[in-house]
Amino acid sequence: MIQFAIKRLMLAIPTLLAMLTAVFVLVRLVPGDPAAVMLGDQASAESLAAMREQLGLNQPIAMQYIHFLGDMLTGNFGASMTSGKTVLQEVSLVLPWTLQLTFASVLIGLVFGLPLGVWAALRRNAWPDYVGRILSLTGLSFPAFVSAMLMLLVFAIHFRWFPVIGSLVDGGFVSQLHALTLPALNLGLIMTAYVMRVTRSSMISVLGEDYIRTAKAKGVRPMRLVLRHGLRNALIPIVTVVGLYFGTLIGNSVLTEIVFNRPGLGKLILGALNTRDYTLLQGLMVVFALCVIVVNIITDIVYGLVDPRVKIK
Amino acid sequence: MKAIGLTLRMSAVAALITLSGVSPWASAQDSERATISVSPGIADITSLDPHRASLIGDKGIVAEMFNALVRFPPGSSDPAALEADLAERWESSDDKKVWTFFLRKGVMFHGGYGELKAADVVYSLQRAADPKRSSFSANFTALEKVEALDDYTVKVTLKYPDTAFLGRVSNYHGGQIVSKAAAEKLGERYGQAPIGTGPFAFSEHITQQYVKLVANDQYFRGKPKLGAIVYRMIPSDSARELAFASDELDLMLGKREQRWVERSRARGVTVDVFEPAEFRTLFLNRNIKPLDDVKVRQAIAASVNINEIIRYAGKDVADGGCSIIPNGYQGLDCSVGPYAYDPAHAKALLASAGYPNGLKLKSVVSNAAPQLPIMEIIQAQLAKAGVTLEMEVVDHATYQAKSRQDQSAIVFYGAARYPGADYWLTEFYDSASAIGAPAAMSNFGHCSVADDAIRKARVEADPQTQLELWKKAQVQIHDDVCAIPLFGLKQVWAKAASVDYGYVLHGALNLQPPVTELTTVKRDEQ
Repeated sequence: MIQFAIKRLMLAIPTLLAMLTAVFVLVRLVPGDPAAVMLGDQASAESLAAMREQLGLNQPIAMQYIHFLGDMLTGNFGASMTSGKTVLQEVSLVLPWTLQLTFASVLIGLVFGLPLGVWAALRRNAWPDYVGRILSLTGLSFPAFVSAMLMLLVFAIHFRWFPVIGSLVDGGFVSQLHALTLPALNLGLIMTAYVMRVTRSSMISVLGEDYIRTAKAKGVRPMRLVLRHGLRNALIPIVTVVGLYFGTLIGNSVLTEIVFNRPGLGKLILGALNTRDYTLLQGLMVVFALCVIVVNIITDIVYGLVDPRVKIK
Repeated sequence: MKAIGLTLRMSAVAALITLSGVSPWASAQDSERATISVSPGIADITSLDPHRASLIGDKGIVAEMFNALVRFPPGSSDPAALEADLAERWESSDDKKVWTFFLRKGVMFHGGYGELKAADVVYSLQRAADPKRSSFSANFTALEKVEALDDYTVKVTLKYPDTAFLGRVSNYHGGQIVSKAAAEKLGERYGQAPIGTGPFAFSEHITQQYVKLVANDQYFRGKPKLGAIVYRMIPSDSARELAFASDELDLMLGKREQRWVERSRARGVTVDVFEPAEFRTLFLNRNIKPLDDVKVRQAIAASVNINEIIRYAGKDVADGGCSIIPNGYQGLDCSVGPYAYDPAHAKALLASAGYPNGLKLKSVVSNAAPQLPIMEIIQAQLAKAGVTLEMEVVDHATYQAKSRQDQSAIVFYGAARYPGADYWLTEFYDSASAIGAPAAMSNFGHCSVADDAIRKARVEADPQTQLELWKKAQVQIHDDVCAIPLFGLKQVWAKAASVDYGYVLHGALNLQPPVTELTTVKRDEQ
C-alpha cells in the first residue's frame, strides 16, 4: 500500500509541475501590482520601485520562474509578500481550521446521508423516498452562504445558542466544538444531500442484482442483506463522491468561512489573490493540489478496502 | 516533501492548541480590565509599521501603538487643534525653516526597548523620508536635516518653509516615532511586531482572525482603563453586523449608506458619522482623445448632476464639494463653486467640439461598493447628454493598476488626506505627479495648468500669499476642467451602548475612532 501511495505521488509530479507553471503564469497575467497593493495609493514611484526590487519583481519573468521552480523543488515555498511570514507558517495557521470544518461536515454528511439514502432506496416511490428526494434537492439547490446567514439569524441572533464569530480567541475543546457546529452543519447538510442521492441510486441498482435475490431466497436476514450484501456493494460510487467533495471542500468552503468568520485555506487564497501576493498564492496552490492528491490516493485505497475486486497495484 | 511534512506537523500542533483551548495570549489577559472587540472591516492586516501602514484598518491599529511629536487630539481631525504629544513644546525660526522640538522625559517604549530619546526621533524622521523604507516619503521632501542636539532636543532643518510641517510630524501617515533599536533589530519583521510608545502594545496577530493589543501600563498619559483591544478580521458587512447584533463586537465599521445609518439608528444602535470624508472626484484624462479638448471636458462637467448623486449617497454620509479641494481643508476656496448641471449646454458644447451625435468613452471601474453604484448613476447622466460611457468593471487591485497605466478616460477616485491644500494639489493636480511621470502619484487627468501656483504656494512663507496662490490654482484647475469634484463620503462606525470613547468624536484622520487610555467598556458581569 505504501508503494502504491509513493507511486501515485510520483505520478502526480508532472501534474503538479504543469499546475505550478499555470499558476505562475496566470497570477502574473492578472493586472495589479503587489508593491502598489502593499504600499497604498500614496507611495511614490521611487518607493514602489524599491519595493519591487525587494520583492524580486523587477527580475525578468524567466528568471523569476527559474527561482520559483528551484525553490519549490527544494521545499522552500518562500514568504508571503505582504505579511513576511513563510507560506508554511501561513498554511499551518489556517489548515487546522480547514481540516476541522471539512472532516466535521463530511462526517455529518455520512451520518445522515447514508441511512437516509438506504431508507429511500428500500422504500422506493413511497413517501420516505419522495420526502428524501425533495430534501436532498433542496439541500443541493440552496446556496451555502444563504443557508449560513439563515442559520446565524435563527440560532445565533434569535436563540443565541451559538456564536457568530466562529474563530474564538479563547475557550476550551467544548467551546471550539460549539463554534464549529453551525458551519459544519451548513456544509454537512449539503454533503448529506449528495451522499443521500448517490446512496439511493447506487442501492437501487444493487438491490436489483441477482445475488441479492439469491441471498434473499437463501433466507438471509433483512438487516444483513441490506448492510453486507447491499450497502457494501453500493459503496464505490459513494466513496467517489465523498472523495471528490472532500477535495472540493478544502479550498471551496470560502463562503462558509467568510460568513462564519472562520479562517481557512479558501479565505487565504482569496486574500492572496486580492493583494496579488504571488508567493503566497503559488504556495497555497501547491498545498491545495497536494491535499487533493492525498485525498485521491486515500479514495483509491478505500476502493480496495470496500471492494476486494479492486486491486491496488 | 520534507516541507509538507513540517507543515502537517505544524498544523497538527496548531490544531491541538486550537482544540485544547490553550490560547497563547490567555496568560496576558487582564482579568480586571475589559477587552474591547473592534472590527475595522478588513480581511487581515498588511503591515503595522507606521512608515508602511497606509491601508484602512492597518493605520487605525497603528494609531493606538504609536505617538508622534505632535498629535491630533482624540476625536479631532482639525489641523488647527494639533497639540503636544512626544514633544512637550517646540519652536520655529522666523523663516519657518528651522524647527526645534523638546521631548518629554520618561517616555518608555514597549517591550523593554528603553526610554524615548532624540536619536529615536532622528531615526524615525529619516526613515519616514526614505523611499526604500517608507510609503510616505513624498510627504517629507521638505526635510533637509534632522539632528539631535542632546538626548531630549531635536532640530529639523527644512529646504523651504513648509506651513504644513507640524502636520507631517503628527500622528498620521509616517509622522509616528519608532524605536530605533527595535526597528534595526527586527528589520523587515518590524511591521509584524511593532514597538511604539502608545497606550496599547502589540501582543499578537493570528492570520485572518485577530490582532491583539494589550494595555501599556507605563503609558505617559496614564494607565489605560481597558486591558486589551482585539481587532477581529471580518470583511463581510453582513457577518460583521450579525456579530455586532450578538454583542460579540463593541465597535465596528458600518456601511457608508444613508439607508444603513437610518435603519441602524432606528434599531437603537449608536452610529457615529465623522470626518474626514473621502473626497470623490472624476478625473478627466486628457491623454485620451477627445478629452484633450476643453469643450468636451466642459460638456462632461455639465452632464453630471452632482446633487442627484448626493441625494443617492445620503444627507448624513455625503457632503457636496465646492472646489477641487475637499471641504474643510486648509486653503479651500469656494468662490468658483461646483460645475452647473446643464445637459442642453453639454450637448451644444459637444456639437461645437465636432461631436453632434455624441461620443464614446471608456472607464475602468472598481467593483467596490462605494464606487460602482455611483459610476452607474454617472453613466446614466452622461447618456442623457449623448456621452456613452463604456465601463470595464474589475476588482479593486485591477482598477488601481489599469487607472495607473492610463487605460481609463474617466477615473473615479476617492481619497482622504491630511487636510491641507498642498497635500491634495501636489498629489492630484501637479504635473510632476501625473501618471507615467518619474515621480507619478495620482494626477490621473494629466493636469498641468496650475503647476506654477501649486509650486509657489508650497514654498511660500507668508500665509496670506499662500492662500491666494492656492485660490489661483483652484480657479485655474476649475476653468481647465481637469476634474469634476463630486462629494465627500464620511466615515460610519457603529458603537455598542457599553462603549465610552472618553472623548467627543468629531473626526479621526486614521479613519476609525481611536481607542485611548480613557476609553471604557462596561460589561454586565464586571
